[in-house]
Amino acid sequence: MRDRAFAPSRIFIYLLVSSIAAAYLAPLVVVVLNSLRTNEEIAQASMIGWPKHWAWSNYIAAWSGFCVAETCAGIRPYMLNSALVTIPATIFSTMLGAIAGYAVSLWRFRGDSWIYGIVTLGLFLPQQMRLLPWTVVLRDTGLINTLTGLVLIHTIQGLSFTTLFCRNYYIAIPHELIRAARIDGAGFFRIFWRIILPLSSPILIVTVIWQFTHIWNEFLYGVTFTTGQQQPVTAALIALSAAIADIPQHGVQSAAVIIAALPTLLIYLFGGRYFVRGLTAGAIK
Amino acid sequence: MPITTTRRRLLAGSAATLALPAFARAQSAVKPRLTVISQWSAGSDGAAITALGKKFEEKGGVWQHSPVPGFTTEMMNKLRAQIIAGDPPACSQLKGPEIAAWSKIAPTVNLDALVAAAGYEKVVAPDLARLHKPGGKWISLPLQIYSTNMLFLSKRAMDKAKADKIPVTWADFNDLAEKMKAGGMAYPIANGGTRPDDGQKFEASFAGISPAAYRAAIMNLDEKTLKGPEIKAAFAQVRKIADWMDPNVGAQPYATNLKRFVDGDMGMMIQGGWAQGVLRNAGFKFDDFIIAPGPSDNTKPVFLLNADAFIFWQRSEPDLQAGQTLMAQLVMDPAIQTMYSQITGSIPVRTDVDLSGAGWSDGQRRTASALKDAVANNQTVLSLAHNMAQENGLTAAMIDVITEYVKNKTIKPEQAVTRLAEAVEGAR
Repeated sequence: MRDRAFAPSRIFIYLLVSSIAAAYLAPLVVVVLNSLRTNEEIAQASMIGWPKHWAWSNYIAAWSGFCVAETCAGIRPYMLNSALVTIPATIFSTMLGAIAGYAVSLWRFRGDSWIYGIVTLGLFLPQQMRLLPWTVVLRDTGLINTLTGLVLIHTIQGLSFTTLFCRNYYIAIPHELIRAARIDGAGFFRIFWRIILPLSSPILIVTVIWQFTHIWNEFLYGVTFTTGQQQPVTAALIALSAAIADIPQHGVQSAAVIIAALPTLLIYLFGGRYFVRGLTAGAIK
Repeated sequence: MPITTTRRRLLAGSAATLALPAFARAQSAVKPRLTVISQWSAGSDGAAITALGKKFEEKGGVWQHSPVPGFTTEMMNKLRAQIIAGDPPACSQLKGPEIAAWSKIAPTVNLDALVAAAGYEKVVAPDLARLHKPGGKWISLPLQIYSTNMLFLSKRAMDKAKADKIPVTWADFNDLAEKMKAGGMAYPIANGGTRPDDGQKFEASFAGISPAAYRAAIMNLDEKTLKGPEIKAAFAQVRKIADWMDPNVGAQPYATNLKRFVDGDMGMMIQGGWAQGVLRNAGFKFDDFIIAPGPSDNTKPVFLLNADAFIFWQRSEPDLQAGQTLMAQLVMDPAIQTMYSQITGSIPVRTDVDLSGAGWSDGQRRTASALKDAVANNQTVLSLAHNMAQENGLTAAMIDVITEYVKNKTIKPEQAVTRLAEAVEGAR
């Protein structure tokens, strides 16, 4: 074992992988270091540098201090908005996608492949093209300027992806399983709950990771369909960075970016473990 | 005390009351309320609009501002969404030719009576007034002005180059840059790598060579001038400037190089007045730099106008109409314009505001007097890089050519002229 660990090819692989990791992590290091430097220090020296004084105040300013126009509450309220949109929209779109994927993959009915094709077409529509139709829908449902409106948008738009993913996963489940359950008298939803869902954790976790990240990081709909205090965290981050008439607030920006990225990071760390576990569980059987 | 009144007076009074426009009556009856959307959310922009909102509240109004973080595109998306949803804001930020374009999308408020009452038209630069009354009626009001071609000179760099004369013409400017370069300064021009930054280099060059040709080619899209000798000379000047710039800025804002500028490792900067606020907030002092009007070959100041403005959208609610009236009065008020400009570093739209007080910087005073001179000599023109000269589509097509030319030094000036003319043709 020992010999193998020090074999030249091993060393080469380690070197290669670590240098790739270093290259990927370099921007993160710059952001972390800048989050601990004052704006003045960054402006008077350079974007890349070691903090002279540890400016923890950036994190306080980012969390609860900086102003978006009249409101000086940092990113805290916007983080809450993002959570209120992202969590329900992720759950709804994943569940609906699982049911839809199950229906189009394991139940044969007239036009099933057409329906599947049309649903996945949604993946190819550019976001900007959907802005005006959504405006009309939100106006007619009275959901404009509400977080509920955003949940609706993200749930429905997420369906294309979640259906695609779940369908591709379920297609590998043997039809005999379904047939046997039907002989035992189980219906559409009973089969889904009792047989399909318990088999789905790996794909559901992948879908949740994707949806969560995607919705959390979304900006265009958030900024267009909500105002002021209702806006998601991406809007607050842009507000912090897009000022032309001010010195770039790199210190506070960096701290805010790190805080805002934490939920998605946690989802990856937490979900990633279950993802691997889900895969290996099948292998051991 | 008995109240006496004549029948005639009573009649006249009631007739006047009936004749008053709906909003004026509403103002006395309801609490003015204003829904505003703008992209001013941070820094001095955010601080200035917050201060304006406070004034609005002090006058008894309800201020409902929704900042749209991001850039113009995001704000336009939101404006479009609100207009389609049948709920336009009572007032929104909008500037340049977009005012005319958007006024065709949704009905706007006619502000003529309020403008006349404030005597505003007499104190606004004519080029600017025209933008705010497409179709002959005032529907929007300019709030503050920047000149995009101010020349910032680093005092330390001037000392290093043993120069004490502020350049007036492009020849002076080029001499000074050469002097700085000869003195060991690798990059005499402090710059950023963004599209507006490249655009500003071009518009400053062109308008400085010939404001008349700039007006014909860029603002009026005159084909002959677009291919003429002045525009070629402008591209040649841009190439010189580009050769004096640090190419290693990527898409960074100009503020990245402020330290090198103040330290004297870079000597000059072509920027708008907002840069003085940025310099101050970065911990630098006004003694570190000089601000002068950008180079002009006929030695009279050329003023590239960039003005922020508010447009007013028709609403039927009496409280919003009262809010619009109050807002319009505030925006035109010299005291409010003074407050606003002192926060952002711009100059007031009103040419009759006195800038000698302590709240103003020398840079602002020089900008204001440059505006006065430029208006007198018909040398005010509208900025292309900051969306004042053309609508978005055309601006984008032109800036594409300019920014490529700045970065790709194999393109010759005459090729750039052809490309620009083609871009205009294609986007028209």
